[in-house]
Amino acid sequence: MLSASRHKTATHQEGRTSSGRSVLVAKLVAAAVALGLVLAFPALAPDPFILSVGVVIASYAALAVAWNFVGGMTGYISLGHAAYSGLGGYGTALLVTEAGVNPWVSMIVAAVLVGVAAVPIGIASLRVRGASFVIVSIALVLILLLVAQSWSDVTGGSNGLRVPRPFGTDVLRPEQHERFFYLFVALTLVALVLWWVIDRSRLGTGLKAIREDEDKAQALGVPTFAYKLVVFVVSAFMTAMAGGMYALWFGSLDPIFQFSILTGSYLVLMSLLGGVRSLLGPVVGAVIVGYAVEFFKTQYGDTQLHLVALGLLLALVVLFMPDGVIPWVTAQFDRFRPGDTSIREVDAAQLAEERKALEEAKS
Amino acid sequence: MSGPLLLQSLILGLLLGGLYALLAAGLTLYFGVMRVVMIAHSAFLILAAYLAWFFTAQTGLDPLLSLVITVPLFFAAGYGMQRALLSRLRPATLTMMSVLLTFAIALIIEGGLGYLFSGTQRRIQLGYSSASLELWGARIAVVKLVAFGLAAVSLLALYLLLKKTRFGQALRATIQHREAAQLLGIDTDRIAGFGFGLGLATAAVGGTALALDATIYPSLHWHWIGPLMAIIVIGGLGSIPGAAIAAILLGVTQSLLQIPMGTTWAQTVFYLALFATLMFRPQGFFGGRLAQRF
Repeated sequence: MLSASRHKTATHQEGRTSSGRSVLVAKLVAAAVALGLVLAFPALAPDPFILSVGVVIASYAALAVAWNFVGGMTGYISLGHAAYSGLGGYGTALLVTEAGVNPWVSMIVAAVLVGVAAVPIGIASLRVRGASFVIVSIALVLILLLVAQSWSDVTGGSNGLRVPRPFGTDVLRPEQHERFFYLFVALTLVALVLWWVIDRSRLGTGLKAIREDEDKAQALGVPTFAYKLVVFVVSAFMTAMAGGMYALWFGSLDPIFQFSILTGSYLVLMSLLGGVRSLLGPVVGAVIVGYAVEFFKTQYGDTQLHLVALGLLLALVVLFMPDGVIPWVTAQFDRFRPGDTSIREVDAAQLAEERKALEEAKS
Repeated sequence: MSGPLLLQSLILGLLLGGLYALLAAGLTLYFGVMRVVMIAHSAFLILAAYLAWFFTAQTGLDPLLSLVITVPLFFAAGYGMQRALLSRLRPATLTMMSVLLTFAIALIIEGGLGYLFSGTQRRIQLGYSSASLELWGARIAVVKLVAFGLAAVSLLALYLLLKKTRFGQALRATIQHREAAQLLGIDTDRIAGFGFGLGLATAAVGGTALALDATIYPSLHWHWIGPLMAIIVIGGLGSIPGAAIAAILLGVTQSLLQIPMGTTWAQTVFYLALFATLMFRPQGFFGGRLAQRF
């Protein structure tokens, strides 16, 4: 009986590998089609407004993937990533306007500076787990908002900063939207590749061990603190890149929107809705949530109902699909497949009987 | 800096610290019973302030009377929230997911208040709004004293409830060791729900106290949650005395720093203290075993 069941799992696995290859091909084709659609979007967009919404969604995708370096791999949920995107934006703006540096160089320099600043912040906030980490991430946004609003000599106070356009004046608004759309998509792709590389590396394995059980990971010799810090800095850097790019595109910075907990929570909602454990989860989430946010803004305008809608959506996701929409959909399909599980579905008595039968067969 | 001004700041800081202490005690209760960081605490605070304002605007009675309605209402809401929502979350990811869930609740409250009452700033006008006492040259508004008295009485009541009653014993047992409490026959699920209700009741009291002398608007809760969170981390997560001491100390420091630095920069003292605490003593100053792991 034991041998029979072994045989069964073996054929099952074989079946999986051959179907696994076709699944891989299907996935690649789907990814190529999706990428093609994304790249064709500016040509398909009927008017500049829709195009600008596309740019916003692409920027959200870049930010959400950047967020997912920390949130997805380590399970440390930061509500304050707006701090890094805002700093990236302000840093870029200041370098361009005050120091006269080339816009793209200043975007990268600002992101590097934010990455350096993230080291002490990471050391302070990653020493504690869970709750305190979230508290620090929120506190950071609030403190930066205070600073940006009060230190008006440098940050322009509540008026914010203006950022000159990176392209010449002969590039019109729709064309600028188009260029930035491609730039954001490229940034997202870079972030995705980086995420994929880390995910498959020793670092990624260690980080996922931290996510599942930090004490055990530490006991097994994973340098938990160093790993967390590295990925935290990478996440801050990528977030700042996206923030800087946003500043160059949008042209003006308002502290209330740059250092907003709401922005940070959008990123969490996007990643969570798409699924923090999957590569493309945050991108899917960014498309859904980004579209919903823009829809609500145009539909309900100034009322505060968009907050209610965001809150309800977040609560529903947390309560009913905390693993995200991709795993949830997969689970719905898996219902119709033969179950595969690593848990042995025999109890002790059956096992004893099997053993007895085996010994009898031997003798 | 003159003597009376210093004294006035000191007293105002103490009075503000009292309110912080009450609210931080509520946050500590949630954390104690469920290891939950309740981001929506300050949103409920503002909700209670709005209810007090609405009550006074509609009936013309003193806002303190609204406590009769809001305290039981918030207690029930807290119990219901714990039983119906938070206890559904998976234990493995409870801390993170509860943060997000309560954050979502905070957004719903803020959005709802903004929709119903608009973003206009509101203030209760009372007969004794402008009255003040003079003490060695320091002028202290009566409403601030009333607010402090309310906070102090509630904290004392909370202390007596936790220390002297059987329910308080059961609640503390649940906080200390849930399984052991269950073995002793305590219905820990129900007790945890009541603990949550008590925590939310502190928000009701605090909100009414706040409504007495502050201008309120829907997004005000962001200004409260940061300092409160900083207080409970500095005090040591899960320790009510720690939270109360940190609240008073930081309240006084903030108030004293307002003289040379102005109100906005003075607020940063909470965050600086928070970062310093995490750098040098991550478990906080009064936290025990509990605080180190969260």
